[in-house]
Amino acid sequence: MVGRSGGVSRRNLIQYGALTIGAVAVGAPFMRTARAQASTFKVGVITSLSGENIFGGNLTRQGYDLWAEVMNEKGGVEVGGERFQIEMFYGDDQSNPATGADAAERLIVQEEVDVLFGPYTSGVTLAVQPICHKYGVPMISGSAESPNVWKAKPEFNFGMIPAVDTSSGKSVGVLADMSDPKARSIAVIGVNEPFSKETAEGFRAGAEDAGLEVLAYELVPSTADMTPTISKIAALNPDLVAVGGHEEALINVVKASKSLNFRPKGLIMHYGVTNPAFARELGADADGTSGIAVWLPSVPYEDEVFGTAKEYDERAHNRWGSHPDYTEAACSASGLVFADAAKRLGKKPPFSAEDKVALKDAIAETDITTFYGPVKFEKEGNHYHDNIQPVPVLIQIKDGVSVPVGPKDAAEAELTYPLPAWK
Amino acid sequence: MDLLLQTLLNGILIGGIIASFSIGFQLTFGVLHVIDFAVGAWVVLGGYLAYWMSTLLGVGGFVSLPVAFVVFGAIGYLIGPVIYRVRNSRYARPELMALALTFGLFTLLRGGALTLWGFNTRSVPTALSGESLMIGSVTVPLLRVVAFAFACAVAAALFLILYRTRYGLAIRATAENRHNAGLMGVDVQRLSANVYGLYAAVTGMAGVLMAAIYSVNPEIGLRYTLFAFFVAVLAGLGSVGGAILAALLFGIMESVVATYVGSSYSHLAIFATLYLVLLVSPRGILQRGL
Repeated sequence: MVGRSGGVSRRNLIQYGALTIGAVAVGAPFMRTARAQASTFKVGVITSLSGENIFGGNLTRQGYDLWAEVMNEKGGVEVGGERFQIEMFYGDDQSNPATGADAAERLIVQEEVDVLFGPYTSGVTLAVQPICHKYGVPMISGSAESPNVWKAKPEFNFGMIPAVDTSSGKSVGVLADMSDPKARSIAVIGVNEPFSKETAEGFRAGAEDAGLEVLAYELVPSTADMTPTISKIAALNPDLVAVGGHEEALINVVKASKSLNFRPKGLIMHYGVTNPAFARELGADADGTSGIAVWLPSVPYEDEVFGTAKEYDERAHNRWGSHPDYTEAACSASGLVFADAAKRLGKKPPFSAEDKVALKDAIAETDITTFYGPVKFEKEGNHYHDNIQPVPVLIQIKDGVSVPVGPKDAAEAELTYPLPAWK
Repeated sequence: MDLLLQTLLNGILIGGIIASFSIGFQLTFGVLHVIDFAVGAWVVLGGYLAYWMSTLLGVGGFVSLPVAFVVFGAIGYLIGPVIYRVRNSRYARPELMALALTFGLFTLLRGGALTLWGFNTRSVPTALSGESLMIGSVTVPLLRVVAFAFACAVAAALFLILYRTRYGLAIRATAENRHNAGLMGVDVQRLSANVYGLYAAVTGMAGVLMAAIYSVNPEIGLRYTLFAFFVAVLAGLGSVGGAILAALLFGIMESVVATYVGSSYSHLAIFATLYLVLLVSPRGILQRGL
């Protein structure tokens, strides 16, 4: 009786349903045509917008978004004398590689993105690579630093930041070389996840190359309390301590060290020290900590979109309320690489499957200079498709600010060594 | 020998830190019969309350402790009846409904924290941050001692309430059989709201200490939920006394294994122990769990 008293009868329901399905079926080709005539580039971003890597995930998002906003202000990406706006699509990997792979597939299949910008973590990047290969969609990674990302020679993936094995080892060597009196020993701590572990391995290899005695090499779970590890290392009394991890772990290492009244002569950490949040949260306790940067606002590079590195820094600060570190900068520069490759390719959006493969080839031939520095991807070897052009700089936090202290030709201030005892 | 003493001290203090947010979790299970997955979110929000007070009012973490007690006590008192209602509903499997409710609450609070405070890791200063005391060759981190003392004080207060007051008798009676307690004149619903309020207040205070000792960000709540759940299972679900013992065991094992075997094996050893305890003594190490 429901159908006769003002509701919907079964017959009507079937009729409406059939009409709806029919409308969708008839309209679908036109919807497809609407996309076919799109005047925007669809850019998909997979990154950690939740989960344990939410901090870094949002750094990458800020970098990618800033590029899209600035490019759109300037009219968009130029192809054949015409400009096309950029539309950003996001997939949250939830700090989980498998979820990242699913998100990439959704962006490619459902959103039909023309290009992907890569995740914050190397672990998710590795999981997304096969998806890019399967669908033939190029991905530019503005954050991944693990050497493992490039060892498998990913055909469709390109990295903006030099792999950490090229930077952490060199930096610990620079620190050892500049130390006075000369450092003789080191203890290495790494959080037990792929990137941090490889950073720690890079520190260990660099230390051995620099002739330092490695007194301890500890891998700790990301959820562990740091005091047992710090106590163990304090008992060995190394000159240097090197830590591979992300911001939360690094903050906890400094806090645990201070609570146990242990301060080595030199402390180097990666990644997170270059982010202003590290110094802000630790206050004066952050001073003296060294880190690695492949970009700083003081580098002497510029481009037509962002201007100088200093101008990029100001623009990012005005937009997000914090100064960018090298990851954020590299993510913005990823957009510049895409814009340059699309311009050289000369194809208007949307890209066909063949266009996307051709875009990949165009990205591989990139040879440009941006505010971030030179960008040119390796074509063979263990760093295949990684941009190893930027030179790592050893920074040290002084009065809450990251200052380049080495190598000597890049230094803007003297390295504080040995570090004073805790106040 | 010095390293061994330092290792044991580190372990005991880690145990105290974990106990500080696990005790309330146990009490809630004992009375409401709910495994409250939101425990980690209360810890996180306690940390953020202290962070807010530190940045907006310029006060240290210790001043935030009584504020956290009042604020989270009030919030818990309001939420308690909802949880009680779901747990005692006539729908099928109310225990699973309650579990889903607290998990949803956890997700909601985590999202709220992300919206309010963003994704940055934050830290809370206190008068004792980084301060330590040397006793012989052993370094005693004072802030961790405060957390340990807090856990002991909470446990002692709970024991006094539970075993030396008529109200405690009503709580224990409700934990044992809420229908019979109701027949004896206990207002079970109100008592449940009070217990949840007390639990949220104590856990929020523990969150202040967590943010001062470590740091706080919206995502670390899950870690505290897992630790509290681990301690609860090892202790025997619902056993407050067992929670302290289990937390100390957790801390000492983590410290000893990290120092003498390797940090990467510490959690492996801890969870292997949990597995063995569940096999040998499913009601927890004191055999007092539900």
